[in-house]
Amino acid sequence: MLKIILSILGVICVAAAFLVMSVIGSYNGLVGLSQGVDAKWAQVQTVYQRRADLIPNLVATVSGAANFEKSTLTNVTEARASVGRVQLDPNKAPSDAAQLAQYQAAQGQISSALSRLLVVSENYPDLKSNTNFRDLQAQIEGTENRISVARQDFNNVVQTYNTKVKTFPAVLIAGLMGFAPKPYFQADAGSQAAPKVNFDFGKTPAN
Amino acid sequence: MAMRGERPLGTSDAVPLRKKHWLVRVLAALLVVLFASCVIGAEVIPPAPKEFFNDYAKAISPQAARKLNDALTQFERETSNQILVAIFQKMPSDTSVEDYCQNVFRAWNPGQKDKNNGAILFVFLQDRKMRIQTGYGLEGALPDITCKRIIQDEIAPYFKKGLLDAGIATGVQAMIAATKGEYKGTGKTRNETKREKGTDFSSMIFILLFAFFVLLGRMRRAAGTSFDSSGRRSWNQGWYIPPGGGFSGGGFSGGGFSGGGGDSGGGGASGSW
Repeated sequence: MLKIILSILGVICVAAAFLVMSVIGSYNGLVGLSQGVDAKWAQVQTVYQRRADLIPNLVATVSGAANFEKSTLTNVTEARASVGRVQLDPNKAPSDAAQLAQYQAAQGQISSALSRLLVVSENYPDLKSNTNFRDLQAQIEGTENRISVARQDFNNVVQTYNTKVKTFPAVLIAGLMGFAPKPYFQADAGSQAAPKVNFDFGKTPAN
Repeated sequence: MAMRGERPLGTSDAVPLRKKHWLVRVLAALLVVLFASCVIGAEVIPPAPKEFFNDYAKAISPQAARKLNDALTQFERETSNQILVAIFQKMPSDTSVEDYCQNVFRAWNPGQKDKNNGAILFVFLQDRKMRIQTGYGLEGALPDITCKRIIQDEIAPYFKKGLLDAGIATGVQAMIAATKGEYKGTGKTRNETKREKGTDFSSMIFILLFAFFVLLGRMRRAAGTSFDSSGRRSWNQGWYIPPGGGFSGGGFSGGGFSGGGGDSGGGGASGSW
């Protein structure tokens, strides 16, 4: 009789140990993934910041060009200012989908204002032959591309994280431990067109 | 479970009908998968190359290609930077040049893992487009501005005149010049180091296998002779044949590209001519 009770207890102990191990495993997995998401988010913020840092220089260079369309310039500066109003923690990925959407919309405004500015600048030959402007354009193109890569990487890692949060066995503890699914960047019409500021600069040589 | 229970075991015509159904389903599924893979296959990424200079369009003269390949191989020995050239006839993708080059970069992974010091010069002849894509570790030595200048001021003028060889050569020289001082090499390409290690390892396996087969052959022969003497002996002789073709790379020609696991975050510049 004692033997039976002991063996039942043993089985229960083993099962409990197994459960604890799997909970620890899931928890650690979630923590790792969550940190991965934060790291990619930091990268997204870095490249957006890099673009924002280029803007004052670009505006200064462009406004030096003879009678440059003023409204285009003010659009860019205003869009940059409006991003400042959507403050997100650069070290922690947003947990609120609406907040991320707002942030994305603000950054999208910069994208479209910038691409418009670059299109308009095509009509100013002295600007196109300006080395400083050409360099800035190359940097902005490169940064837009980095933004799209960083956003894609972010979405990929969020997807991995969300899948884990919603599947067994992590789903059992995710709710208890406060691991909620995280929002993605949405591929809206504006952002799809805007990040590619790709102009055939070489087709009409400056000289 | 329920289905199996419902099916009358005795009826003979039910089984082939069901089988046919099952086969048709599998075929249909296969077709769907095939079709889907064709659609996804709109973007074709070549397998990771074995060399640094890759002219998929056969547009560059073989001598020039060999010379550049040697230069880039030597460059990795000296600096550990992995700079690749990929010339395509046409963009093998419906997406943008930037997206495609990013995907190819991540498939090939040029640059050492801890340094991310890889770069690829892409040329798409029919589209008249090119791009220099830099790994994270070369963004300092080869910033977007420099990439743009190499494309616009060094390569494009030659390409406009139809001088592909000269254009590529100048571009590669410019990329080498820009990234020369950034890292120190080991005197060997990653592929060379890997192959040396691989040779040691595979020769060890080879020797072990050989010993194993010799032993096995002896045991078999011993067993064979004891059970029936004449019939098995000739067959058993077969076990002495060592495994053929397992020893590749005996010539050791040197060089060759093998991606170190470098990553890129979309740095570089694109242009056209």
